[in-house]
Amino acid sequence: MNIKCSTRNCFKKGMLTGSLLAVLAFLAGCATPAGEVESWGVSGQQESAFTGKVVDVMCELTGNCAANCGEGSRQLALLTPDQGTVLMAKNVTLYSGAAEELWAFCGQDVEVNGLFTENKNVRFFQVQNVRIPGGQWKRANQFHQAWAARSGESGSKAQRWYRNDERVDEILKRDGRLGLGAAADAEYFK
Amino acid sequence: MTIKVTKLADHRSLFRRSLFAFIMMSMSLMMGANAGHAAEGKQVTLTGEVMDTWCYVSQIMGPSEAVVGTTHHVCAVWCAAGGIPVGLVDKSDGKIYMILSFAGDDTSVANQKLLDLQSHELTVSGSTFELDGINYISVDEVVEDNGIVNLTHETFGILPPEARP
Repeated sequence: MNIKCSTRNCFKKGMLTGSLLAVLAFLAGCATPAGEVESWGVSGQQESAFTGKVVDVMCELTGNCAANCGEGSRQLALLTPDQGTVLMAKNVTLYSGAAEELWAFCGQDVEVNGLFTENKNVRFFQVQNVRIPGGQWKRANQFHQAWAARSGESGSKAQRWYRNDERVDEILKRDGRLGLGAAADAEYFK
Repeated sequence: MTIKVTKLADHRSLFRRSLFAFIMMSMSLMMGANAGHAAEGKQVTLTGEVMDTWCYVSQIMGPSEAVVGTTHHVCAVWCAAGGIPVGLVDKSDGKIYMILSFAGDDTSVANQKLLDLQSHELTVSGSTFELDGINYISVDEVVEDNGIVNLTHETFGILPPEARP
């Protein structure tokens, strides 16, 4: 049996494995009870739980503030007593960020748990659960509901929102999957 | 007698000035509490690729070099639409800036202009900030748009595989 492969093929197989692991991590996340943290196998992964005030990063840096931290339109961070300002980059649903999970708590202290990831001199946080200190944990997967409400689509379509999003569709139709136009796509994916 | 009147006037004036200063200081503190650590940015012009920061930093789909450019274009659009911070990776030193505002638009979650420009190499002018180890940029203007020039699909294929048609 020949188990050798070229560097490129090995790389592609590695990428396939990585992508499958990402999907598996997501699927595991769907079944994870509120309050628990699951591993996503990310770079520099560090599980953590801490408390801080929900702040709008733009407002913190420039004084340009919006009502309710922008109500989901601005990137948010937790201002903590011992770690400074921690950027909340990700939630637990596929391809979506943390603003939808946190803006309702703008200006309030919340407790979060999840994973730090670190690479290329950047360290930020994937929030997996949120609660008012001492309250019930809430899974950081509110993005689906918010997307369904915005788009008028059903819950099942919201699970794969990225395949049903009008703005995404429009861009991919216009620019192609490589971003180089329809002709480049036709040539590459034939 | 004249001296006493003058002293009384001085006391009143001092009281008014102190009251004014107290009010101004209180207002300043109140605004400060709302505005956080408002700071001056550093004016810059830099060139770099508009990219998805989550996959780049976490390497969940593969090494950072493989999750930029054409290989990762679809995923970058998905992630930007989903509200993950969009970044600009500086071509000169690899430093990553989280984009806070873009050409007069303060929306940093699912900003339509940034969705349209994912994977493009841009030269932009704006202000950069550093906050607790993270670099941010408020883009004032796109000086030049070179389009997508990072043809990573020739080396790495398409990531993730579900981004293929």
